Amino acid sequence: MADEQKPGGSEAPLPAGGGAAKQPAKPSPPKPPATMAATPWESDLARELKERFGGQIGETSTYLGQNFIAAKPEAAVPILEYLKLEADFDYLVDITAVDWPKRPERFDLVYIVYSFPRNERVRIKVQIPDGYKPATAVGVHLTANWLEREVFDMFGIEFAGHPDMRRILMPEDWQGYPLRKDYSILRQDQRWVQENLGIESGQ
Amino acid sequence: MKAASDASMPDSTFLDSTELVLNMGPQHPSTHGVLRVILKLDGEKILGTDCVIGYLHRGVEKIAENRTWAQFNPYVDRMDYVASVSNGLGYCLAVEKLLNIEAPPRAQVVRVILTELNRIASHLVWLGTHALDIGAITPVFYCFREREETLNIFEKYCGARLTTHAFRIGGLQYQTYDGFEQDVKAFCDMFPPKVDEYEELLTGNRIWKGRLTNVGVLTADECKEYGVTGPMLRAAGVKWDLRKAQPYSGYEKYDFEIPTRQNGDTFDRYVVRMQEMRQAVRIIRQAVESIPEGPIMGKVPKVIKPPVGEAYVSIEAPKGELGYYVVSDGGVQPYRVRVRPPSFVNLQALDRMVRGGLVADIVAVIGTLDIVLGEVDR
Amino acid sequence: MSLGKLLRKVFLVDLFQGLAVTFRNQAPKNIVTEQYPAERPKVAERYRGAPRLNNNPENGETLCIACNLCALACPENLIVVGAERNEQTRRKELTTFTYDVSRCMFCGLCEDACPVDALELTQDFELASYTREGQIWDRQMLEEGPKPTQYKC
Repeated sequence: MADEQKPGGSEAPLPAGGGAAKQPAKPSPPKPPATMAATPWESDLARELKERFGGQIGETSTYLGQNFIAAKPEAAVPILEYLKLEADFDYLVDITAVDWPKRPERFDLVYIVYSFPRNERVRIKVQIPDGYKPATAVGVHLTANWLEREVFDMFGIEFAGHPDMRRILMPEDWQGYPLRKDYSILRQDQRWVQENLGIESGQ
Repeated sequence: MKAASDASMPDSTFLDSTELVLNMGPQHPSTHGVLRVILKLDGEKILGTDCVIGYLHRGVEKIAENRTWAQFNPYVDRMDYVASVSNGLGYCLAVEKLLNIEAPPRAQVVRVILTELNRIASHLVWLGTHALDIGAITPVFYCFREREETLNIFEKYCGARLTTHAFRIGGLQYQTYDGFEQDVKAFCDMFPPKVDEYEELLTGNRIWKGRLTNVGVLTADECKEYGVTGPMLRAAGVKWDLRKAQPYSGYEKYDFEIPTRQNGDTFDRYVVRMQEMRQAVRIIRQAVESIPEGPIMGKVPKVIKPPVGEAYVSIEAPKGELGYYVVSDGGVQPYRVRVRPPSFVNLQALDRMVRGGLVADIVAVIGTLDIVLGEVDR
Repeated sequence: MSLGKLLRKVFLVDLFQGLAVTFRNQAPKNIVTEQYPAERPKVAERYRGAPRLNNNPENGETLCIACNLCALACPENLIVVGAERNEQTRRKELTTFTYDVSRCMFCGLCEDACPVDALELTQDFELASYTREGQIWDRQMLEEGPKPTQYKC
């Protein structure tokens, strides 16, 4: 596993800070938005994945010694299945999402898997737009059940085929998806607070 | 059963149906917090469960996006409030990974000592409350009496007993106080006989064995499928501990064992956690012998602004694998902090563990899962 | 089952072993209860309790230089430092200092940030008051500290 520490110069087209924000024309040349200084990840696993999935995998990179793969949204669950059955990545650590509102593909859906025999962790990142319904990973790993429910609850990303797609942490009939960047930290569902708690506002 | 004379009774009442839906509500002495479990029962046998959580959801991940990196540190303690030092360690390690720095050796050794003391404290709460739920009321007093000793050490070191905020990004804030080594060594000498006392109370006791063996069995494959980690995985036979597999903060220097058992039932988890307490004392003894001199804070800039990037760092918290996925966009505030809580993922397995059991087993299984609702809900 | 095991089972030996532990702990020297409020607990020197604004012991003036670092460090933004510029000495002087104890989580970041050790978290932990407004401390209350009512037992 390559442990690249120095910031390499490769401008990997990956989900990164700022994304492809367009700068207005200024007298001085506009600085490109900072991106993650990731370096390419070369290993047997990366090669096997690229052979198997071809164009559906974007870049395989590593940053600070942690490897990740950028993939197309439809390839996420097949990759998880392949990793589980062929490469011994039998433990799904986490499913989470990151919201980059300025990008057209707004959400970054991140799957983290770990392999007990290899003692290795890999991240699979897919970029999905608002309204896209990715396939559920419950068929591959049972852990995904509650993890996907939480991603739905906090971001509004519905997973197609999930056996029980409803909110898990917020109340059942809450409107709004709290972890999105356009949901201010002081905002609440006033209607829910008034109906259920009998007070004007929770603030 | 209808009597022949009950002609006026309706043909079937709810007493005739075989399925009863019972709510084990958020206010319950045995659910270890505000956990609501909706049970589908056939008499006393459990047909299915549905957990409703979120009663303690405070939006910690959203708060993280509105505080600076160092300001978020005290909030992290409040998730797993029973073992708050571990939470702080995980977060500090994650941000240090993003900044690509390491804490100095003295800080690492003191961190290990405090984290292992914290593991003992967390397991003592587990043991006390688990025994209390099963019906053994005595151990909880003794466990909390020993826990006082660890909390006294935390208080003398950082000023707070429960929400310690002991670590800072890059190292430690406080130098160890005079008498720290003596106190820790005295605790290490005092504690193993107490563990023997708990075992005398519980391990051979026929009621304890009867309540715990073959209850809530989760085999190794099921554990891996459900993503269950920590003592539950080790009780099922998988010899895996993040402190050995991917060591952090200098754990590779210490010699300790990973206790495992085979069956994966509740009694095995009890034995594994008792052994873990003993191994923790072993680690503390080794660490306190050799605290190196030196600075306690690494080279951290005054304003913490990690470069753009992300990292996932996980530690072996007393309850399982506690992971932090931090995303930075180069600013003074985190862009996203995702906490991977072990209790949340372990709680999913509740349904599989209690199917076919009795209602009394639910109490035993929730106790053995060792959940803390602050962590489940964040 | 062997005779030994049968006897142990019939005569509840394992249960009595547990009871022996319990009875051993009933001896008066093993009692650890603190009789509060008669015996107040001794808290550590570094305990993070009630905040206090320190004064210079020689001339009684406040040590605070109104630099606002504590307010910037606080995660909850509950410190408000009021200052005015003294024209003679060309320095900022402290006028008002407001601290909201009800939202404070006693994390100690303000104490760590203060460059002159003016703001300190002391060992007072009895901070109850009867009103919400009583929890917002002004400068005078910060300098004197909370004075909880002491009851005689």
